[in-house]
Amino acid sequence: MSTDSLTSSPSVAAPEAALRRARPRVRITHWAFAGPAAALFVFFFAYPLGASLYQSFTADRAGVPTWVGFEQYQRMLHDPVFWKSLGNTGLLLVIQVPLMIVLALVLAGILNQSWLRFRSSWRIAYFLPSVTMLVAYAMVFKVLLKTDGGMVNQVLGWLGAQPVDWLNNPVWARVSLIASITWRWTGYNAVILLAGLQAIPKEQYEAASIDGAGPIRTFATIVAPQLRPVILFCSVTSTIGTLQLFDENLVLTRGGPDNATMTPVLYLYKIGFDQLDFGYASAIAWAVVLIIGVLSFLQFRFFGNAEREKR
Amino acid sequence: MSTGRTRRSVLLAGIVALTTVTALAAGGCATGGTAAKPAPAVSTQDQVGGTVTVWSWDVAAKALKRLAPEFEKQHPGVKIDVVDIGYDNAYDKITVGLKSGSGLPDILQVEGPKMQSYLSSFPNGFYDLTALAGKDKGDFNAAAWRTGTDDSGKVFALPWDIGPCGLFYRTDVFKDAGVDPASIKTWDDYVAAGEQIKAKTGKKLLVIDPTKDSTFPTLLQQQGQRFFVDGKVAVNTPRAVKAMTVLKTLADKGLVDYEKGWDALVAATKDGKVATTPTAVWWSGTLSSEMAELKDKFAVAPLPAFEPGGTQTSNDGGSLLSISAQTKNSATAAAFMRFVLTDTGNQVSMLKNEGLFPAYMPALSDSYVTGPQDYYGGQTAFKTFADLAKSIPPVEYTGDNSKAADIIDQATAGVMQGGKDPKAALDSAAQQIASATGRQIVPGS
Amino acid sequence: MNAAASPRRLGRALVVLVLAAGAVVSVVPFYWMIVAATHSNSELFHSPPPFLPGGNLLRNLVALEDSIGFSRVMLNSLGIAVVYTLGSGLISAMCGYGLAKYRFRGRGLLLGLVLATMMVPFQVLLVPLFQMMASLGWVDSYQAVILPFLANSFGIFLMRQTFLAFPNELIESARIDGAGDLRTFYRIVLPSVRPQLGALAIFTFMSQWNAFLWPLLMLNSEDKYTAPVALYTLVGGTHVDYAGLILGSFLATLPLMVIFFLFQKQFVSGLLGGAVKG
Repeated sequence: MSTDSLTSSPSVAAPEAALRRARPRVRITHWAFAGPAAALFVFFFAYPLGASLYQSFTADRAGVPTWVGFEQYQRMLHDPVFWKSLGNTGLLLVIQVPLMIVLALVLAGILNQSWLRFRSSWRIAYFLPSVTMLVAYAMVFKVLLKTDGGMVNQVLGWLGAQPVDWLNNPVWARVSLIASITWRWTGYNAVILLAGLQAIPKEQYEAASIDGAGPIRTFATIVAPQLRPVILFCSVTSTIGTLQLFDENLVLTRGGPDNATMTPVLYLYKIGFDQLDFGYASAIAWAVVLIIGVLSFLQFRFFGNAEREKR
Repeated sequence: MSTGRTRRSVLLAGIVALTTVTALAAGGCATGGTAAKPAPAVSTQDQVGGTVTVWSWDVAAKALKRLAPEFEKQHPGVKIDVVDIGYDNAYDKITVGLKSGSGLPDILQVEGPKMQSYLSSFPNGFYDLTALAGKDKGDFNAAAWRTGTDDSGKVFALPWDIGPCGLFYRTDVFKDAGVDPASIKTWDDYVAAGEQIKAKTGKKLLVIDPTKDSTFPTLLQQQGQRFFVDGKVAVNTPRAVKAMTVLKTLADKGLVDYEKGWDALVAATKDGKVATTPTAVWWSGTLSSEMAELKDKFAVAPLPAFEPGGTQTSNDGGSLLSISAQTKNSATAAAFMRFVLTDTGNQVSMLKNEGLFPAYMPALSDSYVTGPQDYYGGQTAFKTFADLAKSIPPVEYTGDNSKAADIIDQATAGVMQGGKDPKAALDSAAQQIASATGRQIVPGS
Repeated sequence: MNAAASPRRLGRALVVLVLAAGAVVSVVPFYWMIVAATHSNSELFHSPPPFLPGGNLLRNLVALEDSIGFSRVMLNSLGIAVVYTLGSGLISAMCGYGLAKYRFRGRGLLLGLVLATMMVPFQVLLVPLFQMMASLGWVDSYQAVILPFLANSFGIFLMRQTFLAFPNELIESARIDGAGDLRTFYRIVLPSVRPQLGALAIFTFMSQWNAFLWPLLMLNSEDKYTAPVALYTLVGGTHVDYAGLILGSFLATLPLMVIFFLFQKQFVSGLLGGAVKG
């Protein structure tokens, strides 16, 4: 079964032969199409990218940036906070991303049921968190998670539980961070996955149910294989998002307590903007780029087999 | 036909892009190398005129907006443009401007510790005001003045407001608990009073946010130091251990209400969970605006001392005005700064309207400052702070203050909530700060 | 029949219950925003904070308009987001088409650059990018807010994936009919990917609408501020106008809700058209 039928647009990928035929013949206008974007990229980002890379090999000596070779990168290797921030990111990648993708899948599955009423209202309710402005997000979570009198602890109190120190305890602070990221982005991913589900032809479900397949077997044999590219998309974007995590932990905990919720990008922001050490901040940034590159590559390799077969 | 034209224009765009990038790269190197050039000094000869832009925030921006028309009236042809850039991200904006060498306005509001860090990283980012304002030194609070000068004593910023610290306390709670505020002379007395209050009323003594604590550095400054002394790490000196031990005692005796964030600190006080707040004078503005219903229930006393007869105050907060080296109108900027900061009437009006407590000392003998304050049941609360302000010990910050503060916050949380030993926690913090900053630790600690 | 129907009905009721519980968790913060937006600042400092809406909405609204010129900054935000959405949509579509349907020298390099800008933490590009804007004399202008991000990596990818699936036969036949490449693009190709363009538009509109750090750095006049930048000025060092902040950010979220509600079908299917071809 090819994955082509997944797309919602009626078009089908052109056969390889047709592509090859089409491409060499038209060469005149390619830069007319790609040109504006290319010019904008080169114009606006060639210098900043180069400058930040260069900066990662410098250090401030009495206010003057001085070339120091790989010194900043070596410093990173011996920086416990940097390693801790990477560890935190790893934890998020292992726990938060899969948790969110699974929740989003379940949610998408429910929202895709034809018997469900008010489907667009449900969808918007779940999508809402991802459109919240950061400043409101920060306020709201502080009120929810306050140790004393916060809404969550009040509800726990009604259930007879002890109040939890959500933001000041290293373990609970991580839990809070995971919960708040999941809160913000599950609906967003569910909406994307839902689109994938809707593109699976109804006949296939009917055929499966005639064969007597239960929901789990239907999922394993029909839904999962066809949803693979969408899941890949969600996990790649979530992985990049996690590796660049900044907003959520900045507003919730500023990376604390004891760096339990520190992430590399928040750390480099602090190094650069609080401590004015831009050389080291750039070195961390490029280390993050390297990690994202490797992880994205691996994910495509791992999940993207179907893609390769298709091409 | 159309394709040929497109091709040419794309080529052109590419060339433009490339040359711009090269030019910018060259420009970047040039701005990076400005360190050799000395900071410019304000000329007192230049004509006053044109537009002056000021970046400020919150009530301070309001104050400037209120005063600007008066200055414009006195100096026809001058336009003062005050921009409220918000507090939370003000330094992102200023830092980017300093680092890139462009985009800054004429006048910048900066807080004391941040000014010290900017002066160490961007020694040429600000105008040298020594010739212009050096003679005013005697009129300003000495501790605040120190935050606007570099280590050689050159002046780069003029003090605006200061945060002399005192002890705000609930008179009704003290009465209920049978504690006489006048009996609190030392921190030991304070702890004893706290135990009595807790036993009699069930209330805690003070609120602390251990993840972003300002009490420990305040207790340090009370003893005449912050995190560094003579450029060396000084967070495990005997004085520092004393300060941390006070916090540990308060924590161990269950006298501390832990909260997170500004709103929670305010809420805890508003709800009467705590009997005292040892903090700076600007807390007064929060009390009167957010807790109008608690009028007549607060009073102010000096901070408890470390030993009988010792210093009974410290400093927390306060900002300065500086002139950016990027300005083209330093003379007018300087004139406006003097108009705002070295004028008793304007300074008093900013205390009255916006709650900014002046670092300009002549303003502190104004009858508004020395007179009774309605919110405090007629107590002369501002006079208490004005008297305390004189004895704020000047301290050194260095450019590594915020690096040290992060590490210290963890030590504080470890001691107060993690049960760690003050000396051990501070020793380890000192090691961390030393290795993060490449500085030595003060010998004998 | 009935026996079979009722366990199923029960199961469905359970599913709806769980769904509703989740929806409450999603929406509760918004409820709290409404509560906070209708109380005075001083009331919000009570602990526990109020749980029911108060009667201060009108006063907060007037204060918000007074303190940051809320209607003006909303219009600024709207203008910037609309221009950005249109411009970036067109550029993404063109570039995506070029990358998908043409093979040319530098294509790999261009793709690499697109990828790199997506992977590099934006925070570290701030200073050099700011330097450029200043050299161009663009500080405090809207083009400085809009232009650097007009070529949007996400959008280009989305459109490239979309066009990879676009049938070459349609392009071929247009060409046989004598249409030029550009004409084919505007007359035949673009109209047929309208849902994807719609999705992209919603996405870029949202990201520009909520953008904070870059507009904050670029805009130096209060009357040019966007809504998020203006709202953040309500956070002071020793005083925070929570009521205004929350009311303002709630109102600023409303347009996004409306847009999503109106265009969610397109958003879903359009996003998908590109996404699945990862």
